[in-house]
Amino acid sequence: MKCEICNRETVNEYCELHEKANKNIVEKYNAWNKALSISWKEYLNEIAKNPYTGSSAKELVEHLMKIGE
Amino acid sequence: MEKCTLIITEKPDAAQRVAKALDNKEKPKKIEEKGVPYFVANRGEKKLVVVPALGHLYTIVQTQGKRNYYPIFNFKWAPRYVAERGAKQIRAWIQVFSKLARDADQFIEACDYDLEGSLIGYCILKYACGDKEATAKRMKFSTLMKSELEKSYEEPLPQLDFALIETGKTRHEVDWLYGINLSRALTLAAKHWSGRYTTLSTGRVQGPTLRFLVGREREIRCFVPTPYWDIKAMIEIQGSTYEAEYERKEIEKKVEADTIVEKCRGKIGEIEKINVKNFRQIPPIPFDLGKLQTEAYSLFRYTPRRTAGIAERLYLDALISYPRTSSQKLPPIINYRAILKALSKEPAYRKLASELLEKEELKPREGTKEDPAHPAVYPTGNLPTRALSEPERKVWDLIVRRFMAVFGEPGVKQSMRVCIKANYHHFYLHGRRILKEGWMHFYKPYIRAEEVLLPPLKEGEKMRLKQVTREDKFTKPPPRYNPSSLLKKMEEEGIGTKATRADIIETLYNRRYVTDEQIEVTDLGIDVFETLQEHCPEVISVEFTRGLEEKMGQVQSGNEKRENILMDAVNQLKPLLEEFKQKEETVGQRLSNVIKRARMQERIIGNCPNCGTGQLMILYSRKTRKRFIGCTNYFKGLCKTSFPLPQRGTAKPLAKNCKSCGWSLVQIRMRGRRLWELCFNPKCPLKEERRKRVEMRDLQQRNGK
Repeated sequence: MKCEICNRETVNEYCELHEKANKNIVEKYNAWNKALSISWKEYLNEIAKNPYTGSSAKELVEHLMKIGE
Repeated sequence: MEKCTLIITEKPDAAQRVAKALDNKEKPKKIEEKGVPYFVANRGEKKLVVVPALGHLYTIVQTQGKRNYYPIFNFKWAPRYVAERGAKQIRAWIQVFSKLARDADQFIEACDYDLEGSLIGYCILKYACGDKEATAKRMKFSTLMKSELEKSYEEPLPQLDFALIETGKTRHEVDWLYGINLSRALTLAAKHWSGRYTTLSTGRVQGPTLRFLVGREREIRCFVPTPYWDIKAMIEIQGSTYEAEYERKEIEKKVEADTIVEKCRGKIGEIEKINVKNFRQIPPIPFDLGKLQTEAYSLFRYTPRRTAGIAERLYLDALISYPRTSSQKLPPIINYRAILKALSKEPAYRKLASELLEKEELKPREGTKEDPAHPAVYPTGNLPTRALSEPERKVWDLIVRRFMAVFGEPGVKQSMRVCIKANYHHFYLHGRRILKEGWMHFYKPYIRAEEVLLPPLKEGEKMRLKQVTREDKFTKPPPRYNPSSLLKKMEEEGIGTKATRADIIETLYNRRYVTDEQIEVTDLGIDVFETLQEHCPEVISVEFTRGLEEKMGQVQSGNEKRENILMDAVNQLKPLLEEFKQKEETVGQRLSNVIKRARMQERIIGNCPNCGTGQLMILYSRKTRKRFIGCTNYFKGLCKTSFPLPQRGTAKPLAKNCKSCGWSLVQIRMRGRRLWELCFNPKCPLKEERRKRVEMRDLQQRNGK
């Protein structure tokens, strides 16, 4: 199966890179929520515009926002 | 006819130095034959002919089979012109060596005393001079100073260093086996699928190096930052303002940070404790090549390869000792005092050198690493006889000052931490200063220590927290490697040699696996790595490469045989390549797709100024067969933006914008012309100005007539 974002071979749901990015995004939500008390959607918005967010993580955030997750 | 002694050096500059040092009158005769320079010197009654090589004159070639085939395990050593298209001049070089060897009765190898130098000399003696390697003697020296060259000529080693040569041969042959087979496997897989040729390569050291970079790239690409806050207080002391840090460097909740700011703003603080610590800072160790490259990068931003090149030139000018060394030791035999005395003739070093010469005993601080062939890099004491270029002068100055610094006393620094309590919260004020310069005195201006001086303070003293602010911060991804930190990593991991590491990094750039100074791995680099990881994980394994390095080291000490290592390599590669061949179609498709994407990416100039969503790229019209700049949204029927391009020469996007209008620039390269940085914006103010200037000139010319 191909990764929906980059068309590489998938490991699980996404390719190896986006799978790792997904894991990081899910894991870091707790820290953001604790720091700013924000919702999942607000969190995605925040990391989408953050200059330190990696390119694969950004691609995944945009994808998640597009599919409304 | 009287027979002469043939002396072989590695490069023409070294040949001239050797000939000049050994000639009775220091005026050897320079002769040029078929474009090959060599020198005739007279030493006593003996005629010496000093002939330079041009780096390696011989290389490894396959003995049978076509170029587009793998696996290949049959090879031989042959002249470089047989294997490389751009090495035609090597033929003349070998012919001259063969001719001169016929008139010689003694042979001396005087190439650099290391793995590469020994192999260069050996191949010339064996193949060009006709099996003279067994009877040849070896000159061993670490500088091109007259005294050292004379000594090494008078007291040569009775024979070549065959252990070093064997190690060199093993290294070249093993690298060739891995490099040629794996690179061909990758390149041919992509070519067979797409029909287009693109050089893809990997190797025994290149693969693991790419592994470090890809690992870091993945971390950076997948990085998600988290927010934190820190608090700073501006404190007024005796009319001046100082910045103090809050006791906790990272506050994880914004509300908490705001509360602290509220509680401390405008409050009076009291000095609770003052901690003063004095610590010794010991002198640095002498430069080996890696340390010199790292320091030159951090101070001057010179890439490791550039520094190695500059150091090589300084060595050939006899200004420094042999730079390709792993030693961090300076043996007394180099005569520290003589070097310092000679350096004191240079006004910039006079005072510093004299200060060191006043010491009763000169004892350098040394590192742990040793090199059996050469000491650490040091200045010879010779002063430049030609005007050095700015980079050459900087590197020479760095080497001279480092040499002096290693003889210095330890420095003493003082750090001060003042703890200020305000409304149950603590802030810290930091100060630092140098109490005793010691070795730092000699290493200026290359010291990276900033002093922060605090006024005299005492415990219990009160002061106002003028301003307390909260700063929004985010955790940052790990830093990217740069050529210098990558070289350091390779060194730490024990892969590659001091002579090859910088070139391997350069190859990664040439193959377009990586870009930029802060190294970013391209998609092509990631895909090549993933392909290798999937199909031959062992060859990109750091442990495997390190193990092989160690085994090759054992060849030099006589504990391992070259043949065994080669057999191991073949036995490992054979099944691996057969398996790779079976999966060639899948691999080829994957690599071709990424090459195609990379090629597309290379043609992208920037965002479309009209539609804002598409990207401008260099396109070719099938109809007119002309090239132009067009928007990618054209194919979706959304944007018709296009700009003309010159049809001659090659065009490629520059990562630079026009100074006047800010549009991206395109580089046009035409044969015999200067590079042209073209702004394709038809309304660029610069173009308008130029047009007006031309019109004005024409008008003036017409009026003049």
